[in-house]
Amino acid sequence: MSDNQYYQIPGVENGIRLESRVLEEKIQAAVAAGHRRIQVDAYGQHGIGGRLWQAETDKVLVRVTGHSGQRLGSMGFPNTRIDVMGPASDDVGWLNAGAEIVVHGNAGNGVANAMSQGKIFVGGNIGARGMTMTKQNPRFAPPELWVLGSAGDYFGEFMAGGVAVICGIDPQTPENILGYRPLVGMVGGRIFFRGPHDGYSKIDARMTPISDADWAWLDKGLTYFLTAVDHLNRYPEVADRDRWQMIAARGPKDKVIRKIRSMAEFQIDVWDRELGRGGLVGDLIEAEMTKIPLITTGDLRRYVPVWANRKYRAPCENACPTGIPVHDRWRMIREGRLDEAVDMALAYTPFPATVCGYLCPNLCMSACTRQNAMMPSVDITRLGKASVKAKTPTPPASTGKTVAVVGGGPAGLSVAWQLRLRGHEVTVFDRSEQIGGKIISVIPEARIPKDVVAAELERVRGLIPHVHLQQALSRDDIIGLKTDFNAVVIATGAQKPRTIPVPGGQKLTPAFEFLRRAKVDGIDPGKSVVIIGAGNVGCDVAVEARRLGAESILLIDVQKPAAFGKEKAHAEAAGAVFRWPCRTREITDEGVVLDTGELLPAHTAVIAIGDMPELDFLPDTVKTHGGFVTVNAYFQTTDPAIFAIGDMVRPGLLTDAIGAGRKAAAVIAGILEGKTPAEAVILEEAQPGQERISEYGGVHAAAFDGRQVMDKGRVKLEYFDPRITEFHDVDECGAECASCGACRDCGICVEVCPQAAISRRELLTGGYEYVVDPTRCIGCGFCVGACPCGVWDLVENEPLLV
Amino acid sequence: MSSDAAIVPSSLSIKDLPWQIAWDLDKCTLCGKCTAICPVHAIEPAVFRKRVMDTSAGVKARPENRFQTYYGIRQKTAPAYHCVGCAMCAMVCPNDAIMPMRTDEADKLKFHINQGGEPERRGGRRNIAGGVLDQIKFIRISMLTDPALDAGRHEFEVRTLLGRVLAPEDNIRFVREHGWIPPVREIYPLIIGGMSFGALSPTMWEGLQMGVAYLNEELGMPVRISTGEGGCPPRLLRSRFLQYVILQIASGYFGWDEIIHAIPEMKVDPCAIEIKYGQGAKPGDGGLLMWHKVNRLIAAIRGVPPGVSLPSPPTHQTQYSIEESVAKMIQSMYMAWGFRVPVYPKISASSTALAVLNNLTRNPYAGGLAIDGEDGGTGAAYNVSMDHMGHPIASSLRDCYLNLVSVGQQNEIPLFAGGGIGKNGNLAANAAALIMLGASGVQVGKYIMQAAAGCLGSETARCNICNIGLCPKGITSQDPRLYRRLDPEDVARRIVDVYVAFDTELRKIVAPLGRSTALPIGMSDALGINDAAVAERLKIKYVV
Repeated sequence: MSDNQYYQIPGVENGIRLESRVLEEKIQAAVAAGHRRIQVDAYGQHGIGGRLWQAETDKVLVRVTGHSGQRLGSMGFPNTRIDVMGPASDDVGWLNAGAEIVVHGNAGNGVANAMSQGKIFVGGNIGARGMTMTKQNPRFAPPELWVLGSAGDYFGEFMAGGVAVICGIDPQTPENILGYRPLVGMVGGRIFFRGPHDGYSKIDARMTPISDADWAWLDKGLTYFLTAVDHLNRYPEVADRDRWQMIAARGPKDKVIRKIRSMAEFQIDVWDRELGRGGLVGDLIEAEMTKIPLITTGDLRRYVPVWANRKYRAPCENACPTGIPVHDRWRMIREGRLDEAVDMALAYTPFPATVCGYLCPNLCMSACTRQNAMMPSVDITRLGKASVKAKTPTPPASTGKTVAVVGGGPAGLSVAWQLRLRGHEVTVFDRSEQIGGKIISVIPEARIPKDVVAAELERVRGLIPHVHLQQALSRDDIIGLKTDFNAVVIATGAQKPRTIPVPGGQKLTPAFEFLRRAKVDGIDPGKSVVIIGAGNVGCDVAVEARRLGAESILLIDVQKPAAFGKEKAHAEAAGAVFRWPCRTREITDEGVVLDTGELLPAHTAVIAIGDMPELDFLPDTVKTHGGFVTVNAYFQTTDPAIFAIGDMVRPGLLTDAIGAGRKAAAVIAGILEGKTPAEAVILEEAQPGQERISEYGGVHAAAFDGRQVMDKGRVKLEYFDPRITEFHDVDECGAECASCGACRDCGICVEVCPQAAISRRELLTGGYEYVVDPTRCIGCGFCVGACPCGVWDLVENEPLLV
Repeated sequence: MSSDAAIVPSSLSIKDLPWQIAWDLDKCTLCGKCTAICPVHAIEPAVFRKRVMDTSAGVKARPENRFQTYYGIRQKTAPAYHCVGCAMCAMVCPNDAIMPMRTDEADKLKFHINQGGEPERRGGRRNIAGGVLDQIKFIRISMLTDPALDAGRHEFEVRTLLGRVLAPEDNIRFVREHGWIPPVREIYPLIIGGMSFGALSPTMWEGLQMGVAYLNEELGMPVRISTGEGGCPPRLLRSRFLQYVILQIASGYFGWDEIIHAIPEMKVDPCAIEIKYGQGAKPGDGGLLMWHKVNRLIAAIRGVPPGVSLPSPPTHQTQYSIEESVAKMIQSMYMAWGFRVPVYPKISASSTALAVLNNLTRNPYAGGLAIDGEDGGTGAAYNVSMDHMGHPIASSLRDCYLNLVSVGQQNEIPLFAGGGIGKNGNLAANAAALIMLGASGVQVGKYIMQAAAGCLGSETARCNICNIGLCPKGITSQDPRLYRRLDPEDVARRIVDVYVAFDTELRKIVAPLGRSTALPIGMSDALGINDAAVAERLKIKYVV
């Protein structure tokens, strides 16, 4: 084709560059005028040669000389062929929709950007971002970009279709004809290239073999391309199929991320290889480090349940100075073993009926856990009263050891009883006419039937044959006992009334004298009685005074009356009035005069502020303090051969005296076996879970008990009916006892365990235990939460060694 | 509690507690898993009594009442056993029958967690939500320039420098006069901040280190991790992975003799040495690793006998001024590795941070400054320190950066910001904000525990029991029964997830700013905030 066939459009007129708009109007006008060959002498104008759809199907040839501007042939139409006779600026063929564009020199950045149809031939190299964002519309043939030399950076970025051919002839970058980071984000199309490259986005594209059909297409296209850019002479260089490679976009399912090492592989192949087996601390740690589940069994449990049967003392047992395990008696009742429940008390006390049934304020009941939920305490007096029938136990064979007990009251008889149960020979001395001390001398008959006391004293006498009555012992006698007996216990109580140093004090009647005389009706109190000292003894006086005809009975005290329990109730029932605070100034024949000057008229004024022991008969080796005998924790006086118990040591309840007797007996028995008191005490301590009751009938129940009292909060009172207000018989009592800290063998733990880890096991030695299978247990504590008795504990598992 | 028991001033009802256990009798299958898993025994299996009245219609028959019992879960109300809201019960419950619920009422427990005169101590961080970082927006977005970067696809440098970068004239002078220029590391700008071996479980520590090694060696991300103060396992000290580690030295100096003994055997130098002077979570306070946590392993690594308490004093002893403190420590630590390893101090954000910084500007060895803000986490601190002591990171960092600008050294002493970054899950946004305020990089700890190990702690007083060694996820426990719940490999995998995702997010933020060759450190014209006072204080744009 020769130049003169072209319609000439200059880019500069009269020395002035035409605006892109004006040049575009001139080109469009030329086409409209029927020109089909147009030569533009460009001067950097924008978008030359695009949008020539006016020519419809006529072929329009545009030749561009001079400086073609940006976006040459943009939105080019299929009827258009553009030849740029030199290099081209950026974005050649932008959004090309079908034009064939030939650049005879190099092309700048962005060649074919967003091209959808048509072909672009570049007879040189291209700049950055060539063939980017190209598409293939299924309605048309794919767009093509043919480059003689090399591509710039970011070639084929986001390419979505079409074919690019990079021939690698005289490339600008011979070492890498595809530029830096090509084909990133490529989702469609193919790249044929010839020459070295420095990698491409393998995530997005992959090297694909060139098929025969591909080669046929490429080979044919090369001839056309080289012809178009006037380099057909270079054909032999590109004719070698083997030097061509093809990269195709990966399909969506083909988009494999580059294979990276898994962490597991890394740990084995890299981490442990560098550090050694076991990783960072493999050299410092022996324990396993492998992953464990959240819920674990066995050693991996954080907490483990423990069947802590009898590990703690029940509150009732703990409160009883005598130490009777009251809840165990109720257990026997539940098991239908009434006789045993009755008899077992004799292991602890010679007076189970007299004291537990009648005279004791029943500290066990005050301590009963049931009260925490405002439920009545289990009534031990029912079982106490029934104990009058308890059979006298048979003592074991004599040990040959002898013990002298001075004083046949509750304390003396308790220690004698206990020592006899251990097989020792005991001789009791008492200065009165019969044994029993306070129980028979001063307790009003209203509080206990005579025959009960008589029966229990008879039982005592059955076990203790050697009783010497009306034997008031002197100091020398006591010293003599020390040589005649292996041990001596003094338990003479407190009979010397305390009084107050006021004028007329001699007119006062001591309480015990009043009570003693009252028991034989040997006193007439008159119509009005004033009792100084409103404790329980004072209450007893009030009750007796009423029985003997007194009408006005006044109990006065300097402080809030100490009276409590049955004694107080009986006194109130007898019409006694309590008054405090009252300080006595004088006793006159008219009555008691207070320091306010007020006269409290009294035919009889009784002093009931306690009693002091008589200590004259004690050897000098036995020291006293404040009127009482000094003892150590083992009831040993300052003379180690002499023990002292009961009111002469510390005024207290009957049960205090009985308990002291038990403890002293344990120590004495230990000493008789050649132990120190401390050793004797340790050996007396019960072991948790030990079936102490079964030991009864030969072996003595432990007197010293190192166990702690159980926390009442562990007991589940929810199992009991809160509307029970009273008990009708011992069976009902047994059923409602919560058995604090002692297994009642109910089996709830076995059933409630979600893991079925708990089972009951019979012991070869008798009895049973509940055991946990650690391979099933998860340490949830359901056994602990469900156990009615609070037996199960949840404790921290043993620390694991690291 | 039982209605017939006497109350004491600290007797609380469930309503008074911050976390209340919602338990569904109908759904519960009494499997025991919730009570087995509860780290603090806040719930217990219990027996309940229920009463049924039978009264006939028209009251024709005598009414009857019966008692029944049922079993279930009871929440304890004693302050010592309060529910911490960790929800492990919910996690193990097969029937979704149990879950702690946040109270709708003021927390009364707060008035009682000081039994025996011992104020509340806990782990976690400031129990106060929100903060300035989340409000900062990136407002300078370039849409038209070429190259416009596509954050998801384009490779561009996300790197920062750790170490003293000398001004060119100083550089020349140093080479001439000293034959030495300060070492500088090119690292990833998201550093895992100091969490000690001891504060963290061995599985957690291993997971973090393994993840970091993986990021470096498999993904080419130069991520670095600080050891915290608790030494460093001997094997790590003698491995090539040490180059990814910043060794921290703090006031207790635990494990440092082991480190010194290892120096002759080291294959590589550590990345850097961090001198810890302060911690954002509890500024001005020290630490104490209780004797019962010092098991054989911890003891070996810290170089102490097992079973002794390990105190870290509030300050380094034998140092009586900032000048002396900085000069002495920096010199000593440089010498240990022949001046090949950068050394920088870490301090709590506070109004005195500038004084430290000014000192560093005059010390040509100082390799940077790490500043830890009030929202930083800790394994154990008094609540009062955590909730009320300290300074927000944004303004402290900003003050320091602008101070560097005013003396013309903003490119010389890199600042690293920490404390509450990613507190609400917005790690990359918070990090980018701090970088544009002037940080060369950020340090994160708590976020890493949450994201990489499933830490349950939060600013609503959830869990936060790191201090008692009962971490239900095994992150901060030394009990194998707990830390074996955590698999180092899983942690490492999550670390990789976190970093790769962070990387994309950070690029999503910085790419539109047109930054492809360097982090936009101090590029505060890109920042805006809908709060005029903050905008003025931070010298960024006020946008509404």
